[in-house]
Amino acid sequence: MGSRVKIQSGYLGKAAIEVKAGANRDTVKSLLEANKEAGIVALTGLDMAKKIGLMYHMCTNGVIVTIKTEIPKKNPKIATISDLIPGAQFHEREAADLFGVIFEGHPNPARLVLPDDWPENLYPLRKDAKIDEALANAETAPRQTEAVQAESEGDIVNIIIGPQHPALLEPEKFSVKVEGETVKQVEPRIGYVHRGIEKAAEQRTYLQDVYLVERICGICNSCHAACFVETVEKILGTEVPLRAQYLRTIILELNRLHSHMLLLGHAGLEIGYETLFQYMWRDREPVMDLTEQLTGNRVISSAMTVGGIRRDLQETDIPKVKTQITTLKKKMDFYYKLFENEPSFKIRTQNVGVLSKEDALKLSVVGPVARASGIAIDVRKDEPYEAYGEIPFNLITRDEGDSWARLMVRLDEVVESINIIDYALDHMPSGPFRVKVPRVVVAGEAINHVEAPRGELFYYVKSQGTAYPERVKVRTPTFANIPAFINIAEGGNIADVPPSFVSLDPCFSCTDR
Amino acid sequence: MVKELLAHLFKKPATSKYPFVKAEVPEGFRGKQVYDPDLCISCGLCSRDCPAKAIEMVEVDGKRSPLFHLDLCIFCYQCAESCPRKAIKSTAFFELATTNKDSLVLKPGGPSQKGECVQQ
Repeated sequence: MGSRVKIQSGYLGKAAIEVKAGANRDTVKSLLEANKEAGIVALTGLDMAKKIGLMYHMCTNGVIVTIKTEIPKKNPKIATISDLIPGAQFHEREAADLFGVIFEGHPNPARLVLPDDWPENLYPLRKDAKIDEALANAETAPRQTEAVQAESEGDIVNIIIGPQHPALLEPEKFSVKVEGETVKQVEPRIGYVHRGIEKAAEQRTYLQDVYLVERICGICNSCHAACFVETVEKILGTEVPLRAQYLRTIILELNRLHSHMLLLGHAGLEIGYETLFQYMWRDREPVMDLTEQLTGNRVISSAMTVGGIRRDLQETDIPKVKTQITTLKKKMDFYYKLFENEPSFKIRTQNVGVLSKEDALKLSVVGPVARASGIAIDVRKDEPYEAYGEIPFNLITRDEGDSWARLMVRLDEVVESINIIDYALDHMPSGPFRVKVPRVVVAGEAINHVEAPRGELFYYVKSQGTAYPERVKVRTPTFANIPAFINIAEGGNIADVPPSFVSLDPCFSCTDR
Repeated sequence: MVKELLAHLFKKPATSKYPFVKAEVPEGFRGKQVYDPDLCISCGLCSRDCPAKAIEMVEVDGKRSPLFHLDLCIFCYQCAESCPRKAIKSTAFFELATTNKDSLVLKPGGPSQKGECVQQ
């Protein structure tokens, strides 16, 4: 490729590769040749006045490599890479919605996150988008209604699940084509709870954004806040005190504990085993109480801040935390027995919704879903952040790839999380728990990823040297995992759709942002 | 299963009897805030940093003072952290549900700012 390429190592991940717009496909191809297991993490769009910047954040061997390219805003066309990496389909559709980029050759360039009645040629994340005007005209604008509803062609019946459905707790839509009881095709549509948080973050200060991004997802709130503050700290070059790193680790693991237990209980509900749901949520309650004790609120912890953590750990709290997690660990024995032996649980989950390792790699899935298909990825191990580099813990993988394995990975991780908290409490360093940072962030850009309960969470932040960020990009784990659901559901039984869906631990308020 | 069944026959329910028994919150809980007008220096930092834009600076008896819109408040306590004089403090009061939205506006100098709970 020669002169068309500029490589900067150690920038935006392991390296940033700057290429001309036409060379993006070749660069991705050569990356895939070097490592067949490479996947896409995120596709960040960036308004650069006359141009639109596109950044393909690729994941190879656990590290991120960014491919940067620019296209003119007047003619924003670029060749798709979704035929090379099927997992890129959703990312490209999102960039098409929000930046108006046309991906030539995309197999399904339909809207993904914006509503169907959103005005055409209005791309909300472009800096010159006149959103206020569009909102003022929204009342008079003709409303398009969603065309496709339940219909049948021959033996194939199209069933619409959602946006409002008793089996789904959040609004999302799946058009499921079935022949008899067998699922033939699944077409997901997200965006029903799109709140434009990425745009809202540009209009708030870095300090306020910590609380804003925390509210992207109620369940993994600490992970969002931690990932954002770490990204800002990377731009600032701030060294976070060791004690703060340990305290953050504890909060993040409490977050993972309650999220995994919530899902395991919820899985019980979906397969019609409500006793499991009740038991699991009863045992999850002490974790919520601990979060409340340490941070001041049982759900939204608001513990993270740029430069450290907002509250120090009181010596008097340590024994209470220790007793609670020890009791919890003992209770996990009961769930191991249940998950491994209970026939009514196994019959609904074992060999149901199998995702093979090859498909999982192709679709760039993350987190427990990938680990249950035998892919050993975990940001905590691959690129240790906070105190994870100093704390010994096991990376859990299973090879079955079915719903049961996905739930078992989480059960194993509950035990690992308890061990991590226990170790962090024993080895808690003394010293300051936060450092003072300036309100105005120096110009620069950075990426960061953390392991949220649902998988790898990715942030990109660009600063122009003011108190307000220029761009905040969030790629949530569920966004990467939804394409896998299509793979899992197709060919299966319609009655298995809810349990295998829930085994992915989907979070749509995250996905839509 | 029989063991599990018998054990549960003699156990107390896992749920608590709220609202008949008051729920205890730990120390440092981020509940409704109280503000001390004597400590306030009218700098307006709380209002500037509030992520939810829930704090308005209003003029009361010739002094600029914060007015809290608890219906907008997200209870992050950034205001308390930004306050240079520690004039904003947390309380353990969390039962803020009301049928009257006006009762969620904490006016400087009003009765709700002295620490007691308003219930309508």
